[in-house]
Amino acid sequence: MLIDFRYKTLNPIRDNVNWILRPLEYVMLMPRNVFDAGSEYFTTRGTLDKENQEMKVRQAELSLLANQSEFLLIENQNLRQLMDLQKQIPFKTLPVEILFNPPNPISQRIVINRGGHDDLKLGNPIANDAGILGQVVRLYDRSAEVSLLEDPDFAVPVQVARNGLRAAVFGAGRGNPLELRYLPVASDLEVGDVLITSGIDGVYPPGFAVAVISRIERNADKNSSNVLCVPVAVVNRYRQALALLYDPQFDAKPSVVNKSSSGGAGVMTPGRRQTRARGMQ
Amino acid sequence: MIDFQSGYILRPANPLFIYFSLLCALLLNLLPIGNYGWVPDWLIICIVFWNIHQHRYVGVMIAFTLGLLMDVHNSDLLGLHAFSYSLVAYLAISWHRRIIALSVFTQALHLLPIFLLVSLFPVLTHWVLSGELYWWALTGSIQALIETMLWPIATRILLAPQRRPIDVDHNRPI
Repeated sequence: MLIDFRYKTLNPIRDNVNWILRPLEYVMLMPRNVFDAGSEYFTTRGTLDKENQEMKVRQAELSLLANQSEFLLIENQNLRQLMDLQKQIPFKTLPVEILFNPPNPISQRIVINRGGHDDLKLGNPIANDAGILGQVVRLYDRSAEVSLLEDPDFAVPVQVARNGLRAAVFGAGRGNPLELRYLPVASDLEVGDVLITSGIDGVYPPGFAVAVISRIERNADKNSSNVLCVPVAVVNRYRQALALLYDPQFDAKPSVVNKSSSGGAGVMTPGRRQTRARGMQ
Repeated sequence: MIDFQSGYILRPANPLFIYFSLLCALLLNLLPIGNYGWVPDWLIICIVFWNIHQHRYVGVMIAFTLGLLMDVHNSDLLGLHAFSYSLVAYLAISWHRRIIALSVFTQALHLLPIFLLVSLFPVLTHWVLSGELYWWALTGSIQALIETMLWPIATRILLAPQRRPIDVDHNRPI
């Protein structure tokens, strides 16, 4: 256990065991899929109506969010032109299917049906239509494990969609709300503020919704505030998600230096905080 | 072997049936039920059962291998389940003479600490490794309680092939 925790030497064993185990898992997914297909076939008009209604509400919400992010995008581009920084990096998406979530009392993970064979890389963010779900933490050939936002020590650099205040959201373990740490009391935050990825770290593309602030406890004595948030993307709702193939190497400017020290800077350790000043020469 | 509940002599266990039951339990564990703390660990019930009844066929090594499989499936640290399963298998084998002579419900009560150990082992390991104890995760003990309640049913199912009569007399059913 310690060997696996400290070093990554046991990964070949894990890969081989997984190679044997994955077909069995697929077989055991079949009852659920058959059941789902059956229940879908027998849905009543009422539930369809309800679902339709929900979809409409959702579409309205999403278009609102889209407007917001478009505004930010334009503002960002203008600022970038003003400051002569580099342009936004385009990225590709890859549709993935969530296979199952393995039982684990401490952290929740999901297993998806794409892996290294489909150009997925360690550290790629996974999002669904609502927002960021998590990050790929373990890569197999045809499948991958995704750690969710709630995972302890999981950090995402965010900014408040309303005023562009930058911060970092930290996971606090399964079942606990996310925390927005290292913010002074006087920071301009309100309950209900949407937090979107800021893209500072080069791991998450900017402009994706992450969480909504649910509670703020201001502590004037210590000049700190406990800000709790709820993730936007719900895991168990849909089975489809998108992997964002966002290559963080694009914005690392000094390529020669980066290549020589790629062991440290190029290879990302998932779940660890890695901040890198962006656009610096 | 003597069935202590009924006093009859049991038929010899078929090793194929033992391995088949272990495979079935493994497949049940792979069912995508979701990440709930109370879902019983079918595999450990099966392993402990065969450890107590047929420890020559199912020992610590098999428990370790199956635990390794569960580690990969659960995306845990490699060795977490493998260690707890083999520890429990060792305990069960060393207690098997004492436990097998008890009635089924007393057996279940005796096995409660064993199941508790398996359920809480990941939480305790995480506590040791990171220094944080997830109180919420201690609800895993519900899983152990459910497994204990499943023990009599497991005994009934897994011992059924050995309880068959040797020659069936259709003219004179007992």
